[in-house]
Amino acid sequence: MSEKVKIGFYALTSCYGCQLQFAMMDEVLQLLDKANIECWFMLERGSDEDKEVDIAFIEGSVSTQEEVELVKKIREKAKIVIAVGSCAVHGGVQSWDKDKEFNELWKTVYGDAHVKFEPKMAEPVEKYIKVDYKLYGCPPEKKDFLYALGTLLIGSWPEDIDYPVCVECRLRGNPCLLIEKGEPCLGPLTVAGCDARCPAFNIACIGCRGAVKDVAWFDSLALELKKKGLKKEEILERMKIFNAHNPKLEGMVNKIFEEGG
Amino acid sequence: MYIPITVDHIARVEGKGGIEIVTSDEGIKEVKLNIIEGPRFFEAITLGKKLEEALAVYPRICSFCSAAHKLTAVEAAEKAVGFTPRPEIQDLRDLLYIGDMIESHALHLYLLVLPDYLGYSNPLAMVDKYMKEIEYAMALKNIGSKIMDYLASRAIHQENAILGGFGKLPTRSQFEELKKELKEALPMAEYTVELFSKLDQYEEVKDEEMIHMAVKPRNGVYGIFGDYIKVSDGFKFPVEDYKKHIVEKVVGHSFAKHSFYNNEKHFMVGAISRIVNNADLLYGRAKELYSQYKDLLRYDNCFANNFAQALELVYFVERAIDIIDDTLAKWPIKERDEVEIKDGFGVSITEAPRGLLVYALEVKDGKVDYVDIITPTAMNLAIMERHVRMMAEKHWQDDPETLKLLTEMTVRAYDPCISCSVHVVKL
Repeated sequence: MSEKVKIGFYALTSCYGCQLQFAMMDEVLQLLDKANIECWFMLERGSDEDKEVDIAFIEGSVSTQEEVELVKKIREKAKIVIAVGSCAVHGGVQSWDKDKEFNELWKTVYGDAHVKFEPKMAEPVEKYIKVDYKLYGCPPEKKDFLYALGTLLIGSWPEDIDYPVCVECRLRGNPCLLIEKGEPCLGPLTVAGCDARCPAFNIACIGCRGAVKDVAWFDSLALELKKKGLKKEEILERMKIFNAHNPKLEGMVNKIFEEGG
Repeated sequence: MYIPITVDHIARVEGKGGIEIVTSDEGIKEVKLNIIEGPRFFEAITLGKKLEEALAVYPRICSFCSAAHKLTAVEAAEKAVGFTPRPEIQDLRDLLYIGDMIESHALHLYLLVLPDYLGYSNPLAMVDKYMKEIEYAMALKNIGSKIMDYLASRAIHQENAILGGFGKLPTRSQFEELKKELKEALPMAEYTVELFSKLDQYEEVKDEEMIHMAVKPRNGVYGIFGDYIKVSDGFKFPVEDYKKHIVEKVVGHSFAKHSFYNNEKHFMVGAISRIVNNADLLYGRAKELYSQYKDLLRYDNCFANNFAQALELVYFVERAIDIIDDTLAKWPIKERDEVEIKDGFGVSITEAPRGLLVYALEVKDGKVDYVDIITPTAMNLAIMERHVRMMAEKHWQDDPETLKLLTEMTVRAYDPCISCSVHVVKL
């Protein structure tokens, strides 16, 4: 590619961790002679959201009406839109209580106060615009960024991961936290790619990369957790930390309890 | 005209914020720091949730100091259930927190602050002329990240720091590797002090009424955890009394509340506040450098926070080496103790990279029954706005670009979680 690729990094409502992960990659320096950064407020004072870009990375959930307008503008100006991280892809942890009345949440934190923005329940970017590719994780792994960027820069297209964390956990030879230790590990339904980072430290997966697309074994995991004595609400709450917007979740978990499993 | 914005007192201050300055022929009419981040409801969404799951979610308030959020929340939870960690576990928590400090200070100083002084709009553009500085930034950042990777599974949103200790500890050889790299990083940290001793000479903001607040370190060594808060006017209070002395007020134009000491006084938190209150607890090379550069560590100038961070880089690199030595001397170490989750209330206040971080948690039936979080940036907002105003009053007749840069630099000196996005400067 002779001409430099134009890149933008945009933030909606988030912890800025996906951008931080990207900024912390030593490899960003090698990118400099291949790409122009047109917009990246975290690092660049001269950033401009109105510039056209080849690749737009968006982190954060859509949490205000202003952000709805922003994602639409980014879509118009970008050839490829990549939703980056759990907030942009799934709505993020701020969606955990999405089924609660918005006003109730608002009152708990803000009382009767008003703001000049139009706040809304956190939602994935895909709800408002077409997303071309997704980087899963809270935050995504550095190699997720490198793989996506690398394939796009050579004119190819990155593949989606369609298998769960358990695959990588088995390959590492970790003991199974779910079966052997009875912990509520969400590895069986969570998209792989982290190399089973947390289970390798004896920490049960909380599902930060979101459920495996089109498969999402919410039901079989719910059955296993039910056998271990967890109540339906406990299972739903844990699965919803990162999957509250998944349309399959509730139905599949409910099924296990209705049928008497 | 502005419609009043009201405010949450938790963490959505990191993210999008802006400066608004209104000038007239006579001078400055209005100066406002606007925090315009969307709502995330961290306190509301964790209410009624299992304690362990809430503890996994709190760090996600902020990526720049997720280890700080994790460890402060865990300590508040342990205090609530009546558990005290073993000293060797406490040391390793200190080490993990120091990883966050080193990474955060290195990123702030080199990537967010330095470009302003060298005349660049972004740090990547500095590569041609300042490759050494960029390499040092990356190396220092990498050692901070590696401490967090080895000890807590990753550098952002560490899951391996839990009630009672850690799921798994690094191996002996991983600790030795960290120690070797920390030793290699020490000259780079010292170079940072030298570099910033030359750059950080701004005198525009001189606030003689400035009050600094910092934790009184628990073990008598300059550091992060403690049970009392020291105030630079000589007052001291137990962390449980935080609400009496750190009073939050709603201001019409900010999405985050402003904090005042004893209801009325502006105060600052952060690296310079730690030095002002606890310099006598420094040791080693940092103590020598402190004596050498004492004059630059101005209590009345918020820009001194940058230099204080540079000095802390040296201190925390050395301190990390000492903790690793102590840890290896006690090896092997049991990674965790079982914690019985009882009902109770606990407050933890620690030194996050950018200042005091408060967590107050009430636990009932294994669930979060009450939570109050105050971040350092929320505490600094009032005084930050005061100093932006002081800067603007000095330079309101300068050209808008200069005024923009100088007021932005004032904000950045605080290392707020909004520094990355303070770009909405309207004149």
